[in-house]
Amino acid sequence: MAKELRFLIVDDFSTMRRIVRNLLKESGYVDADEAEDGAIALQKLRNSNFDFVVSDINMPNVNGFQLLSEIKKDEKLKHIPVLMVTAEARKEDIVMAAQQGAAGYIVKPFTKATLEDKVNHILTKVGLK
Amino acid sequence: MTQALPPSAPEHASALEVHQQIGALTRQLHDSLNGLGLTAKVQDWAGELPDAKSRLSYIARLTGEAAEKVLNQVDEAKALQDHIAAETRRIGELIVKDPVAAVAKGHVMNFISEVELSSKKVDAHLTEIMMAQDFHDLTGQVIAKVVNLAATIEEQLVQLLIQTAPPEAAVKAPVPHAPYVPALSGPAVNTDNNPDVVTDQSQVDDLLASLGF
Repeated sequence: MAKELRFLIVDDFSTMRRIVRNLLKESGYVDADEAEDGAIALQKLRNSNFDFVVSDINMPNVNGFQLLSEIKKDEKLKHIPVLMVTAEARKEDIVMAAQQGAAGYIVKPFTKATLEDKVNHILTKVGLK
Repeated sequence: MTQALPPSAPEHASALEVHQQIGALTRQLHDSLNGLGLTAKVQDWAGELPDAKSRLSYIARLTGEAAEKVLNQVDEAKALQDHIAAETRRIGELIVKDPVAAVAKGHVMNFISEVELSSKKVDAHLTEIMMAQDFHDLTGQVIAKVVNLAATIEEQLVQLLIQTAPPEAAVKAPVPHAPYVPALSGPAVNTDNNPDVVTDQSQVDDLLASLGF
């Protein structure tokens, strides 16, 4: 049965948003919304309720690191786990994301199993599963 | 078999002339760049061009791999579909011939199980085809960087033309455009012997685990 958790997928490439959305759906997470950059994501997060954010890093306007930082600074949003799904493969970026409070980090290209494992692991860890 | 004919005298003279003109233009460009203090910038472009070449190779590789992956997955899915279509026809004939025997001998149940299994396999192939489309995101980021380099070189060349143009040919300087440039490094194009980047998800997990995350 589909879980009643709400996801926000943030990526400037619509192809990637669709891929992540379809993979989440295949894993049983059918309730998902999309944002094409960090600024739009913040707006949606502040105007609605989400349980999980899957975010790219390299985006125009507000990038993934800035989005993560804003989420973690916001008392109402900081509990939301943020999974970074990105092509940024530098070790310093991975460490920085973890230090800023990212719940997980997936480097593109990734597999369906990797996304499913990370999402389930994080949900278990934060008590949402 | 045809043999290459030696160039005729006028052709040879013409080729020599073109060669000399290119040489003169190159010397003139070199002197102008030196005079304008642009040599360092040109060296920077020259340094970035091999990077652009490897980025373009990366794009060619990724798009090629994605196309190959999609075609392979389609081949496998189509084979499954053909098999199911043939089995459907066979079971249909068995049922028309003797419906009771078709059920009693387990042909119908076997067919249902086979359809269920094949459907799962086809679904997995469709997921793989979907996943193969991630090349669009990865190559898009790399293309943005190469386009930015080309735009920078173009702008600098236009500036050079403006600065070296005779007064009667002076043109108004175009307003430089500001394309979107990803501020981060983007996909790791060259991972060989680069200890600063990870090459797969297991390395990400190991790195985070080693730091206690």
